[in-house]
Amino acid sequence: MAGTPSNHPSMFKSPLMNWVNDRFPLTALIKTSASEYYAPKNFNFWYYFGSLALVVLVIQIATGIFLTMNYKPDAAYAFGSVEYIMRDVDYGWLIRYMHSTGASAFFIVVYLHMCRGLMYGSYRKPRELTWIFGMLIYLALMAEAFFGYLLPWGQMSFWGAQVIVNIFSAIPFIGPDLAVWIRGDYAIGDATLNRFFAFHVIALPLVLLGLVVAHLIALHETGSNNPDGVEINQGPKGNRWSKDAPADGIPFHPYYTVKDILGVVVFLMVFTAIVFFMPEMGGYFLEYNNFIPADPLKTPAHIAPVWYFTPYYSILRAVPPLFGSQFPGVIAMGLSVVIFFALPWLDRGAVKSIRYRGTLYKSFFAMFLVCFVVLGYLGVNSTDVWGQFGDWSNFLDTKDRATWVARLCTVGYFAFFFLMPWYTAKDKTKPEPARVTMH
Amino acid sequence: MKMKSILAVLATAMTAAVSVTAFASGGPEIKYAGATASRTDLESLQRGARLFVNHCLNCHSAQYVRYKTLMDLNLTEDQVKQNLMFGAEKIGETMKTSIRPADAKEWFGAVPPDLSVMARSYTTEKLAGYLRSFYQDESRPTGWNNLVSPNIGMPHALAELSGPTKLVTKSFTVDGKELKTDHDAEGKAKGEFIAAGTMASFEHHSKKVDGKTINTYVVNTIANAGPGAMTPQQYDHAVADLVNFMDFIGEPHKAKRVQIGILMMFLLAFLLVAAYALKKEYWRDVH
Repeated sequence: MAGTPSNHPSMFKSPLMNWVNDRFPLTALIKTSASEYYAPKNFNFWYYFGSLALVVLVIQIATGIFLTMNYKPDAAYAFGSVEYIMRDVDYGWLIRYMHSTGASAFFIVVYLHMCRGLMYGSYRKPRELTWIFGMLIYLALMAEAFFGYLLPWGQMSFWGAQVIVNIFSAIPFIGPDLAVWIRGDYAIGDATLNRFFAFHVIALPLVLLGLVVAHLIALHETGSNNPDGVEINQGPKGNRWSKDAPADGIPFHPYYTVKDILGVVVFLMVFTAIVFFMPEMGGYFLEYNNFIPADPLKTPAHIAPVWYFTPYYSILRAVPPLFGSQFPGVIAMGLSVVIFFALPWLDRGAVKSIRYRGTLYKSFFAMFLVCFVVLGYLGVNSTDVWGQFGDWSNFLDTKDRATWVARLCTVGYFAFFFLMPWYTAKDKTKPEPARVTMH
Repeated sequence: MKMKSILAVLATAMTAAVSVTAFASGGPEIKYAGATASRTDLESLQRGARLFVNHCLNCHSAQYVRYKTLMDLNLTEDQVKQNLMFGAEKIGETMKTSIRPADAKEWFGAVPPDLSVMARSYTTEKLAGYLRSFYQDESRPTGWNNLVSPNIGMPHALAELSGPTKLVTKSFTVDGKELKTDHDAEGKAKGEFIAAGTMASFEHHSKKVDGKTINTYVVNTIANAGPGAMTPQQYDHAVADLVNFMDFIGEPHKAKRVQIGILMMFLLAFLLVAAYALKKEYWRDVH
């Protein structure tokens, strides 16, 4: 069964559609963004995560609307209102678990989506703006997650927010005042909770939606990249549906819509299994300490951010202080996120896709992935997780093995970016095929 | 094929991460021992409810839990009202405590925490271990101390059930006879620790005497020191029932959640077959 060509006589002939089309370009919109948007035919497993990110966004917005109906952004009632949702609101527990699982699912999906971009060089010319919009989405998502995590008003909400806001107070001169300005108080309190609620439910969702639209508009302007990293628009023209369309392109609808539906169902199976069978995910999605109400007088023994922030948190902890100031760590952490923006200009490889890159690039890329995962693991744990070096190490500033591993990984992390202009240019690449390949 | 290998790598990586986490711990090593109870065992939950309202609610609240929730344990409104409701009038009320916060602070040094979600923050295993770890200690104001949470303000609230208990401490250090090396001492101590049928802790102390490091390996266990209303076995099961009930009030909808989850997985499995068939059909002509 072939996809129905959009110029099929039976399509869009209803009087209602004509009425609409005379006033709003509905048919044209569907054509340009779906039924006549030609995507490379060789997308693989890694290409599911873009549409999945959109699905998670919808889950978060839909469940979030229902949560706000019963949540109270008030330091005295917030924790209790979450418990009220979990117990007394009909299926409130389901809505809440979907939202809490959705938060982690969002980062899993986005990290895999970004990894795809790195592997196949999707950030490179001419898709620099798609990449930049995507990075802005990632930043907005981090802010959204950070603000949202305060709302349950548990111990980890409170102390996690305390630690992250204190990061800003490490900035020289303006730091302490800046932290007070962010909190609206000298400590995390009711004022902080109220403003974080406003950011979480209105400001950042609006920003996110706008950026997602921009990300897609930019993508559809250049057309999608593919696992081979060759441009289908520069290849031969003419396919079954149109003589002007790229020969290696297939209409997004119905081909990729039905394929993405399959991806969504598989995703929902994993998502459902977590929501219904292990919503805490061993303390990673819902932290055990967060079932204790926030107590400004009791500092938990071990404060760690939620897992999706831990690679950066590790970098912050790994960088040694300078003249007693943690500012260098703050700079390194900020840079480790922002550096992604520069990727399109750091990469000088002759080819885009990892399939045709040489050993040099592949080694650096593998090192980067290992560093990222190890940093993430170490960030979840306290710095003594791997014990300490023996007496020989007295001259070191810290004996914690984990801190030294984190330092090594921080160097590896930045080496991937800073040395990229050199090793991508020097890399012995394989010749790219003229057309996309089907494996 | 490709996706399979990716999943295999992910699975291996996750197992590795989990097994590494298991090593991460500080302080004395605690062995949690004792009976457990099933969340689907309604009789266990009912016994736990009785223990909870009789022994815990005197000092602790469970302010997010309505008495009505107990009707999910196969109890009628009258049964709940007559047997389990002492501090409330209406079935829709939440579990408040009768103690005044100021009094509690004076007596115990802190206001006893709310127990609504205690099982979610500490897990049933740790809660049960805690309740099995009280021992008599004259140096404490309440006369009780705890192996899992040393010097905690809470007295042994279930003492009339368990009867008096004491701490049994065994230290192992190199003595030149049976224990020739630190390795022997540690092995012997570990053996005792693993063989203990009760709650136990294992600690390693080292101090320097005349420039020489002396290692001591200490094993603490809890032992019965007199009769209570229950035998040690009965008390062990009573604690299992109590924490089972606390797990229930921590998340009253858990049983329903798992039920719906199983149904959802079946529905999605059907959807998966349909989605796969649809994709296959559409993609037949893409080469």
